Amino acid sequence: MKVLEMQNVTKKFGDFVAVDNVTLSVDEGEIFGFLGPNGAGKSTSINMIAGLLRLNEGKIKILGKDISKSNQFAKKNIGIVPQDIAIYEELTAFENVKFFAGLYGLRGEALNERVEEALEFVGLSDKAKSHPKDFSGGMKRRLNIACAIAHRPKLIILDEPTVGIDPQSRNYILQSVRKLNEMGCTIIYTSHYMEEVEEVCTRIAIIDHGKIIAEGTKAQLKSIITNTKDVWVGVTSCREVDPDELKDIAGVQEVQINWEDNVIKINSAIDVNNLNKIIRYFINHNIEIRSLEEKAPNLETVFLTLTGRNLRDK
Amino acid sequence: MKTLSIATNEIKQSLSNKRTLVFLLAFPICLMLILGLALSNAFNSSIKIEDFRVLYLVKGNTEVEQAFHSFIKEAKKYGVQFIRTNDEIDAKKAVKENKYVGLVEVTDQGIQLYENNANAIKGSLLKGMLKTFADKVNLATTVAKTDPGKVQDVLADSGQNNYVQETSINSYKEPHAMDYYAVAMTNLAAFFGMMSAVYLIRGERQRKTDIRLSAAPISKMEILSGKVLGGILTNVLCMLIIVLVSKWVFKANWGDHLAVVFLVLLSEVILAVSLGVGISYMIKTDNTVNAITMVFVQVAAFFGGSYFPIDDVDSFGGIFTRLSPLYWANNAINKVIYLNDMTPAVHTMMWNLGIAVLFLLISVISMRRREGL
Repeated sequence: MKVLEMQNVTKKFGDFVAVDNVTLSVDEGEIFGFLGPNGAGKSTSINMIAGLLRLNEGKIKILGKDISKSNQFAKKNIGIVPQDIAIYEELTAFENVKFFAGLYGLRGEALNERVEEALEFVGLSDKAKSHPKDFSGGMKRRLNIACAIAHRPKLIILDEPTVGIDPQSRNYILQSVRKLNEMGCTIIYTSHYMEEVEEVCTRIAIIDHGKIIAEGTKAQLKSIITNTKDVWVGVTSCREVDPDELKDIAGVQEVQINWEDNVIKINSAIDVNNLNKIIRYFINHNIEIRSLEEKAPNLETVFLTLTGRNLRDK
Repeated sequence: MKTLSIATNEIKQSLSNKRTLVFLLAFPICLMLILGLALSNAFNSSIKIEDFRVLYLVKGNTEVEQAFHSFIKEAKKYGVQFIRTNDEIDAKKAVKENKYVGLVEVTDQGIQLYENNANAIKGSLLKGMLKTFADKVNLATTVAKTDPGKVQDVLADSGQNNYVQETSINSYKEPHAMDYYAVAMTNLAAFFGMMSAVYLIRGERQRKTDIRLSAAPISKMEILSGKVLGGILTNVLCMLIIVLVSKWVFKANWGDHLAVVFLVLLSEVILAVSLGVGISYMIKTDNTVNAITMVFVQVAAFFGGSYFPIDDVDSFGGIFTRLSPLYWANNAINKVIYLNDMTPAVHTMMWNLGIAVLFLLISVISMRRREGL
């Protein structure tokens, strides 16, 4: 069953087209990823799905019902975890979840049980009576999730849920996403972090400038890039590295230098065996190699191939 | 139910916020106490006259001298001391130096007064008393021409020795300072509600909780109604506490028609909250909306009699006073308390609720046009 269907959806802000004729669908039980750089149209798309923005053109259906005609039905079945932390600092964690869950029609004992369930799920049961102003960033993000899941929605939308938090909290959130999916929720996950989307999502749409430029499973997307490979060379210092000289090596198509980490990414044609020549370049220029790795293409490479740009500006 | 849920949430949030409690409760109560105590003298309708000394000089043997001595005796009861002198020049010099209010010369031709204009109040009182005495002497002279036997009766009539007569134009009871400021500060606190009402919806946008509210199965009207209701109830609660504190702790007079007074205050709260929400939709930036509401509240308070009573509307603020909702409310409540006059209260409630409806309509129309809250 299709939980979400978007048909020729367009959204304009004045003359600016934020979402341009997007068509996609999400099946029940999927973790669907929206991958794209900042400003690509991810948040605009999910805001339209959640009923926060009006469509200029097209149609969106939730569980088979057009949201323009069955707005309340759609909203009852969606839980949204906004990009920004959306909670009341003056209320306790319990009061926050209870208030938002109450807006979905839950009452009395059932409401209290769901609130406790949600807080336990995100690991904040012992902080139920505490105020969010005393929480760390990671804990606030978890409370942000609890507020969205207490009413047991069929579709949960997480908009960049790991922005600005520590790795431990990030892992906790990614685990929670998988757990929610195992419990039967369909999930839409937006991010500009390729690693996260690769880790949790079963199907991914890559969006840029308001358009879907590629859609499919990880394997399907990576198969777009069948003719290149990446070699990652870690050195003691990149100062002496000349990208143009490296590009002169047969097969080398793209050279990217990470000055901070002193790592050079060399994208080469997959059928050219040039690893020896690459190593020889570094030896001849007295550049000490710390590490060397040949990696298969990832979504970043897919995006780069399709758009000519990186997912995140370096 | 959802509207009530939102209203309850709003009340919880507001009462958990210490700034709100200070602003809506502590500040008005403190101001009431300070102004009520500090300005209590400004509400005295009586003036105390001290050190009222007058010189008098009797020239020759006058028939009036005996009556004058009776007059002096009566005047002493009012604190006016007459001191005899024989030296006219020294006496006039002393009056000029403001050591005495004046010099009264009692002669065969009548009474002459030489006074120092520096003290207008005492001078006026003395003139008034002497005029009354002179009228009495003239009356006795007239009676002597027709019935000489009755002259002493006229002069000795102690029942008419009221040389200082108290007249009062305003015959009703007037408020003391604490009574006045109890009403004024409660009204001001109710009107301060406008400044927090600006953030009823705007605050949700700032916190990003507007996204959750908009994503929930609840209409915009329910959200707005809940927020406005919550804002009104919070302000009413604070207002009731201020009234109770002023009545039971500061012993302020709230009159015998508490229900009418409450209704006026309630209409004030509704007006303030509606103005706040309406202005919040009309103005985009936070700084501008804060500045406008602050200026509006303070101007309304200044011209509305929140900080000092306004006796003459036209000579003070004129149109600004007449347009101040705080003036309407202060005036209406004081008339209910001290004159049992309900008409201004009814008019005030009608104006407050009419304007409130207008601004709520503006809010509803603006909200419907926007995407999200």
